Amino acid sequence: MLQRLLPFLTLIVLFVGLSIASPDHFLSQTNLSSVVRQTAVINLMALGMTLVIISGGIDLSVGSILAMGGLLGTKMMAKGYPIGFGIFIGILTGSACGFVNGILTTRLRINPFIVTLGTLGIIRGVTLIISNGLPVHEIPPAFSYLGEGTLLGVPFVLWVLVFCAVAVHIILEHTRLGRYTFSIGSNTDAAYYAGIPVAFHTTAVYVICGMLTGLGGMIEASRLMTGQPTAGQGYELQAIAAVVIGGGSLRGGEGSVVGTLIGAFIMGLLSNGSDLLGISPYVQQAIIGAVIIIAVSFDELRKRKIT
Amino acid sequence: MLLQLSGIQKRFGGVVALKNGNLTVNPGEVHLLLGENGAGKSTLMKIVAGLYQPDGGDFLWKGQKATFTTPADASHAGIAMVHQESLLAPHLSIAENIFLGREERHPLGWVNRAKTLDAARRLIEEHHFPLNAEWRVEKLSPAGKQLVEICRAIQHGSSLLIFDEPTSSLSDAETQEVFRIVRTLRERKMGVIYITHRLEELRAVGDRVTILRDGDTVHHCPLSEITNDRIIQHMVGRDLGTMYRRESRPPGEERLRVQGVTRKPILDNVSLSVREGEIVGLAGLIGAGRTELCRAIFGLDPIDHGIITVSGKPVHVGSPREAVQHGIALIPEDRQKTGLATALPISHNLTVANISKVSRLGWLLDHPAEKRLTADYAAKLRLRYDSPAQLAGRLSGGNQQKVVIAKWLVRGAQVFLFDEPTRGIDVGAKVEVYEVIDQLARAGAAILMVSSELPELLQVADRIVVMRQGRITGELPGHTTQEEIMKLATLHDCGALLGEHT
Repeated sequence: MLQRLLPFLTLIVLFVGLSIASPDHFLSQTNLSSVVRQTAVINLMALGMTLVIISGGIDLSVGSILAMGGLLGTKMMAKGYPIGFGIFIGILTGSACGFVNGILTTRLRINPFIVTLGTLGIIRGVTLIISNGLPVHEIPPAFSYLGEGTLLGVPFVLWVLVFCAVAVHIILEHTRLGRYTFSIGSNTDAAYYAGIPVAFHTTAVYVICGMLTGLGGMIEASRLMTGQPTAGQGYELQAIAAVVIGGGSLRGGEGSVVGTLIGAFIMGLLSNGSDLLGISPYVQQAIIGAVIIIAVSFDELRKRKIT
Repeated sequence: MLLQLSGIQKRFGGVVALKNGNLTVNPGEVHLLLGENGAGKSTLMKIVAGLYQPDGGDFLWKGQKATFTTPADASHAGIAMVHQESLLAPHLSIAENIFLGREERHPLGWVNRAKTLDAARRLIEEHHFPLNAEWRVEKLSPAGKQLVEICRAIQHGSSLLIFDEPTSSLSDAETQEVFRIVRTLRERKMGVIYITHRLEELRAVGDRVTILRDGDTVHHCPLSEITNDRIIQHMVGRDLGTMYRRESRPPGEERLRVQGVTRKPILDNVSLSVREGEIVGLAGLIGAGRTELCRAIFGLDPIDHGIITVSGKPVHVGSPREAVQHGIALIPEDRQKTGLATALPISHNLTVANISKVSRLGWLLDHPAEKRLTADYAAKLRLRYDSPAQLAGRLSGGNQQKVVIAKWLVRGAQVFLFDEPTRGIDVGAKVEVYEVIDQLARAGAAILMVSSELPELLQVADRIVVMRQGRITGELPGHTTQEEIMKLATLHDCGALLGEHT
């Protein structure tokens, strides 16, 4: 039980530690808001990634999806379409990319690692071709509310994140799709033998991951107020790391929304804390890498004890 | 004395796997190690082979106190183990696997392929195995892999060999070959520890027995001094009474009809029918097409032609999903691989084929209802479990099988295809599985049951259909004899092949 709570305890220890080490800066509302804003995008992607990883898959293309969603969404706004429509296009683009990933893995039966390694390149390439490598700047100022706005004293993105987290949690724990996701990830053959439409549900999971990533792309664009074709590089690894730190298993069948959120915030706090304490970004990377390995080895130890 | 273990103990976390392991093996002796699943046999053997370290007790090897901290230590000392599940490198050749870690080398250090291959060929020839040293291991059947494991263990020049259920996936001829090898090893004054679940095998090879139960050593004696009934009593700790015998009832309407089903080259014009409340046994040797017939009926493999009829209506079964929709259920041979999600709770496994039954509005799961349903079916099938949230993988084999069956009951299946339903299940728990199957039949299900254990078919089935090389060679009443079945399965008289049965 203690080990199951370990990620949560780590998060609390980090929080308390940073409050003591840097009381004036860390606990300030500006700083806490900025932690939330910085981690919101990774958090959203990680929520989708949680579903994919529980289903036994992996999506390496989310960084590219994020860029394409953000770019196409802002392009619509630049062409004069309403902000809401732009956001919708961003989300739709993400979903479409997820659909392609899902179809390729289920219909061609290619390993998802390979499929999404391929689409990582393809989607990024297409995004660069569409944009000609240039960012979109002509964005209506009101769009910044999505990433930088505040509602009831709390960053607007936090509301979005909470909404999505609750939705994904409900999907996972309370719907047929969630149950099938666990079944497929835990034992694909047994799920197929039980008459579950495995291909359909696997595809659905990639679509949801793409959808959340598309939304993440719009938030990223809103925070930078540009549609960057080069946005999101390396984000896939952070999203995967968040899931894994939170107890998700790359073998499938294991993971939770709460775990993933904790995982993402641990990484967020580590990087924020290092900034506050003046630790160089080079050292930060090494610390986060070490945390991933430590978290997973504790989780493996826990599982070994059970079985 | 070769090996002497006394009072060996082993704990895993809070679970005591072994509290008193005693075992003595002499050179030139085949020692049978018996016990139900979870009795501690494998734990004890893994300690001997250096995979686990004991928490207590004395371990004497050739009269010296021994501690093996790795399998390499044990192997160095002359102990080799033929594992039940294959521990081979699938992408390497048979020869490379046999000599893995002990390759013939050039003086400069590179591997001498030709020499390795040659040595492997000689070894295979010596034992008349149907193998080719150059084949890749991944292409082999489970039986073939088992033979490679055996080659690997015997070439090593060990003085003690442990066989962990070596014949569970072998055909009769291959089993006989394994027995022959064991006898040769005995003649060479090696010690052999032999673990098996098949009681009928015992007398073909064994000299002495040690019986474990719940981690304790409950009995040991020369094999000639004990009857099979006494062995079973020691294993299960109670008297099983007379052997299970099912009461036959007149069957109802025809539920499943298979007409001219052909899938080249495995199934050739197979026709049979199963009625409501009837248990039809499907007998035959390994590779006769029994499993393949079940797979075809369940939509796992496409058929070239033939008609499958359920309750009088011809149905198209292109996938398990369609089969399930027509009320067909498959309880597969390999529970862990295709029947269960072992890392998920019992309740999830139970409702996975019919999740609507525990959903509101068609999509929102009703967790309390799911719990109740799980408790209901668990009571019906007398499942021994802690809670619906317990992971399916932590149940015993027999109880896991009950969960697989319950899954299809929740789905309301009418036609049940059982493929080796008691494989790897304890003697005591087998009877419980038979009772569940009988319970299904009484409730009106049509049951087709594949089994390689003839006594089991004779006990359970109303009729027995025999297959050979993809064809049905005959049908026998439930009260037939093993010899009759074997005649049809091999199409020649082969009482000899059966060996001694008690």
